[in-house]
Amino acid sequence: MYQASNISFRVRDKIILRDINLNIEPGAFTAIVGPNGAGKSTLLKVMAHEHTHYHGDVTINGKAARSYSAKELAWVRAVLPQTTTVQFTFTVEQIVMLGRHGHKATQKENAAILEEVMTLTGTDHFRERNYLTLSGGEKQRVQLARVLAQVWEETVYPRYILLDEPTSSLDIAQQQLIFSLAKQVCERNIGVMAIIHDLNQAVQFADHLYFLRGGKIIAFGGAQQVFTKSNIEETFCCRVNVYHDPCNNCPYIIPERTVQQPLSISSKV
Amino acid sequence: MNLALPIREYRTAIILSALGIGLVIAVVLSLTIGAVSIPVADVAIIMLQKVGLFQNIAVDSMHEVVLSTIRIPRIIMTILIGAALGVSGAALQGLFRNPLVEPSLIGVSGGSAAAVVLMIVFGGVVIQADGWMYTILLPVLAFAGGLTATFTVLRLSNQTGRTNIAVLVLTGVAINALAGAVIGLAIFYADENQLRTFTFWTLGDLGGASWDKLMIASPLLILSSVGLIFFSPTLNALALGEAEAYHVGVDVEYTKRIVIFLSALAVGVSVSLAGMIGFIGLIVPHVIRVSFYADNRLVLPGSIIGGALLLVLSDIVARTVVSPSELPIGVVTALIGAPFFIGLLMNAKRKNEL
Repeated sequence: MYQASNISFRVRDKIILRDINLNIEPGAFTAIVGPNGAGKSTLLKVMAHEHTHYHGDVTINGKAARSYSAKELAWVRAVLPQTTTVQFTFTVEQIVMLGRHGHKATQKENAAILEEVMTLTGTDHFRERNYLTLSGGEKQRVQLARVLAQVWEETVYPRYILLDEPTSSLDIAQQQLIFSLAKQVCERNIGVMAIIHDLNQAVQFADHLYFLRGGKIIAFGGAQQVFTKSNIEETFCCRVNVYHDPCNNCPYIIPERTVQQPLSISSKV
Repeated sequence: MNLALPIREYRTAIILSALGIGLVIAVVLSLTIGAVSIPVADVAIIMLQKVGLFQNIAVDSMHEVVLSTIRIPRIIMTILIGAALGVSGAALQGLFRNPLVEPSLIGVSGGSAAAVVLMIVFGGVVIQADGWMYTILLPVLAFAGGLTATFTVLRLSNQTGRTNIAVLVLTGVAINALAGAVIGLAIFYADENQLRTFTFWTLGDLGGASWDKLMIASPLLILSSVGLIFFSPTLNALALGEAEAYHVGVDVEYTKRIVIFLSALAVGVSVSLAGMIGFIGLIVPHVIRVSFYADNRLVLPGSIIGGALLLVLSDIVARTVVSPSELPIGVVTALIGAPFFIGLLMNAKRKNEL
């Protein structure tokens, strides 16, 4: 279990997160949704132990995150950022191999892992290409392969991956692909936490859902149970209607086309 | 399908061996050429006699003296300095994720030059180009000045326990500007003779090599250069960005401190031995990247051998073209390196590889 308990985080006087409790279960997909500026990315950085001056406790598999070294953290959790800029010309294969950086494994073991994650993500057929020449979708699949390579080995302890809006600049096919892969790897005793912008995608893939607003958790629970009109409207301050999609057997929302006061630049500001 | 990896490992080994062979040829060439030209066979025999072989073969005793007191210490110093400058440039470019970085950016060269010029102009003593002041005092001052500047830069760019790279680059620029001002001011007050001493010092000089100096300098140069090589995989991970490198298990702060310290040590010792030799730290890593590939496990060792190779070749040219006099080494490295580098760049641009 990857747990955050009573997390508060402030930058100077501004409180970014207040009293957050969050669990990522191995084998499950946990999604976090919330409006811009809700503190989602900050929460992810605290969970990843990138921000260290938080109050409260983050524990990974029962041990405080603070007591892990950088290398030990790399054995239990991997992080996929929104975009990754790479300086210098590395090949796709070299990038994926960087996921194995913190591991003591033989070259043969690493090569086998590389093969599996590259096949899974469909990046194996352009392994020799220069990473900088790839399209946005291909780049993100390569980064996902790198993240998976980091936590691929079946170990006695569960591993986790944290995804920070990993699909923000991708087309819908690529978006679905990234989330499907993340969902699929949960079977390997991996817990997934993802920040997702698209609510319909969140409810489609997530087992657990957290609504975050103003640094506080508004609601959480089983994805389909908490995916209610009231929770969504309270979190996003936007009128929505929730419907049921019989094909996916899953709820979905359509925002209401609200007729507010006519938009005028002065009143908006 | 799994062959892809071993082939790459092979490729690195092949490239490094080829560079190594090139270096050996250049070294032998350098040992034979000079005011006294010594045949290759004699060079080989004398070298082997040094390790206890072929003791019964007689060789020209003057050749032996020239080699063991002048050329061999000089070639060792040349190799070590070229290697140190090359690898510290490669490591800093990797650390800062910026291909424009060269060792002077962290203030080493500027600090060294400022310390040296202050001593020459305001030291109150006349410094002869071959006196003990020039050979002992200036190197020590250069080293102290270089390290002081680097630690100032590091200290100023410390932000709540982390080294902020953007601040570090800017402070480096500022410290270099300050050093430049100090140098300018000193030059303003300098007389003809002092000016000449300083100018030659800034152009670099490998002529001062001796076994005594090497005894002190070579452990430091070898330690720092080899130490940097161990960071090659870590620098690869840093190419993803600092946060991402941390995510894959890199202790980023530790890496920054050690890499900067080792680079400052390598460059500081080099500058103190041979004055300012620009260009190698900037260009050699690029030549390796453009000619082959950007994996730091190749670029760092490649820059060690490549830096040594470029400096040995430059030294041959410097010693021969205006013989018996010598061209300043810094002039030659740029004269040889720049056109070669431009050629490589044009080629890479055509192939759209940049």
